[in-house]
Amino acid sequence: MNLIKRYFSNGNIGYLFVLPAAVYMLLLVGYPIVSNFILSFQDVTVTTLNKLQKPFVGFRNYRLLLGDGVLQPSLANTFVFTLCCIVLQFIIGFALALYFNRSFSFSKPIRGLLMIPWMIPMTVTALMFKFMFSSNVGIVNQFLQACGLIGQPIEWLLQPRLAMLSLVIANTWIGIPFNMILISTGLTTIPADLMEAASIDGASARQSFFHIILPMLKPVIESVLILGFIYTFKVFDLVFVMTNGGPVNTTQLLSTYSYKLSFTLFKYSQGAATANILFLILFAVSIVYLKFVYDDGKAA
Amino acid sequence: MRKPCAMAIGMLAACAILSGGAFAQAKQTVTIWNYWETPKHQETLARICEDFNDSQDKIEVVTKYIPFADFKKQLSIGAAASELPDIVIIDNPDHASYSGMGIFADITDKLASWPDLKQYFEGPLNSCKLNGRLYGIPFGSNCLSLYYNEDMLKAASCKPPKTWDELKSVALKTTKGNVHGFGISSVQNEEGTFGFLCWLWGSGNTSFQIDNANGIKALSLVRDLVKSGAMPKEVINWTQGDTMNQFISGNLAMMVNGPWQVPTMRQQAPNLKWNVVQLPVGNKPASDLGGENFGVVKGDKVDEALAFIKFAASPAEMKTYINDFGYIASRKDVAATQFTDDAVMKVFAAQMAFAQPRGPHPRWPEISDALSLAMNESITGIATPEAAAAKAQKTIDAILKQ
Repeated sequence: MNLIKRYFSNGNIGYLFVLPAAVYMLLLVGYPIVSNFILSFQDVTVTTLNKLQKPFVGFRNYRLLLGDGVLQPSLANTFVFTLCCIVLQFIIGFALALYFNRSFSFSKPIRGLLMIPWMIPMTVTALMFKFMFSSNVGIVNQFLQACGLIGQPIEWLLQPRLAMLSLVIANTWIGIPFNMILISTGLTTIPADLMEAASIDGASARQSFFHIILPMLKPVIESVLILGFIYTFKVFDLVFVMTNGGPVNTTQLLSTYSYKLSFTLFKYSQGAATANILFLILFAVSIVYLKFVYDDGKAA
Repeated sequence: MRKPCAMAIGMLAACAILSGGAFAQAKQTVTIWNYWETPKHQETLARICEDFNDSQDKIEVVTKYIPFADFKKQLSIGAAASELPDIVIIDNPDHASYSGMGIFADITDKLASWPDLKQYFEGPLNSCKLNGRLYGIPFGSNCLSLYYNEDMLKAASCKPPKTWDELKSVALKTTKGNVHGFGISSVQNEEGTFGFLCWLWGSGNTSFQIDNANGIKALSLVRDLVKSGAMPKEVINWTQGDTMNQFISGNLAMMVNGPWQVPTMRQQAPNLKWNVVQLPVGNKPASDLGGENFGVVKGDKVDEALAFIKFAASPAEMKTYINDFGYIASRKDVAATQFTDDAVMKVFAAQMAFAQPRGPHPRWPEISDALSLAMNESITGIATPEAAAAKAQKTIDAILKQ
């Protein structure tokens, strides 16, 4: 008893406070991850799912995936999709944040309204864009044709590159409010007198943007980009509903391919292996993020 | 001391009577999972269960609806977690996969003495089997035939096509402006495979052969229909329901679809003049067998589950629901009494003679994926029919070898 008391009075009481969170993480986050890794090293399919002893096959699932001709394109698609979405979301979100940072009448209600895409359930958005991009009856083609911009309907969801473009447009629409609101919050932390001093000293709008706003927002921008990367990289519902990876796997992402392997083709182990590849990439990104946060914390 | 003792005995006796009564009333609950989304199907299934529950006092059957998109996932998770229902109403090509997984009971011996078994059509019954053993009983069947818009064909002075070449030319002649001549659901999943197999089998191939002259002919048919503009490329995103909606909206002159659409079409487009003929023939007549089976889940309620299935499968009971489902009975004696005054449904009933089950193979989903991929590659022009066929055959051969 005394020993325990002495241990905790020694400034180690902090461990006790961390304990509930640590147990929670171990059970609800750690266990599924470990279990998924074990699954990916076994051979679990329809025939072995109910057996007590699951055959251990080492890296065979990973080797099979690399040779199946769908995993590598999916990986490339995931990166293309993520990078395109992030660049567009970030630029448009930043521009809107700057715009709404100036106070004019209705600036606040309009900024609030712009949050709507972020709040609509993803499936609803996906269905909406699926209808809008339909070749024969979709409003996008009808509008473009009515304006005389195109003669023939564009096959938005039927051509490989256009299908990817449609997904990027839909996801960018969803992601803009997220970027805008975080950057807006960052902008409010820049002291008004600093901007005022700059303008008195004769700094142009361009100069104050590159020499005051951008450097002051660096921590916010890092967070926005990395969180945006994580959210976009693991997107599932949008693609599942809009194209389901088609046409012919050209919009297949790691997340949708993992689902297809597990729940359409019943190759549970290969599905788990694909999910692990997704996890490892995001894990690496998260470490970079944590390092940024840590460095900023030290600097501050 | 005596009084409390007597009271205790009295209470015990009361308990015994009460619990005895409770035991007599305790019914075995049998749960059925199904994925039918139309209210009519749900109501009819509930009525069958009610009929059964009223007919005896030992078993209580309850149903649970799970959306089709989640159905296989729920079954797989249920199998891993040992939380399964007692009966599953399952899409017939998936039956073999789940039998292979070991979730269904082998009922071959239990039904050996059931005289009704002989009444079942061979195609539907085969879809319940794996390696010659029986793991279920067909619920009801359907197949695909060709719907056509009578006015549109008349305007183009065409007759319903009987061969693949006629199909191509009639489809082209009826294509005008926003109207396409022909449509068939070609999504890259089981639904798309379902339609494509009519062409693959019609070429003379089995479900497992595609890389030969016949298979390439089948892939070329869908490619040609899209290339000539007679079939919209959008069919790769159309479900069977979408295709039917395009047809009744007057955007399609012909479509391939199943009899389950008939009640909806009559209700939603009473003024549309349409009819049904058997599918155009390539090298031999063929259609795809659809429908569901009762799968009996392994466990301690196999006998109770079979009691319900035998009840639902009895000719007297089956006649009360099979027409409401828009299905063709899997039993010859019941099918013979169906649709005597319905010309449209008669066509489907006649087409049934050429309907084959998909697979059956425990890894059918993977084979199906290879086939629908080849079809989608040909439709979108991402690969030639030759290249698509060769690739699909490689995948299928690898699966069959294991």
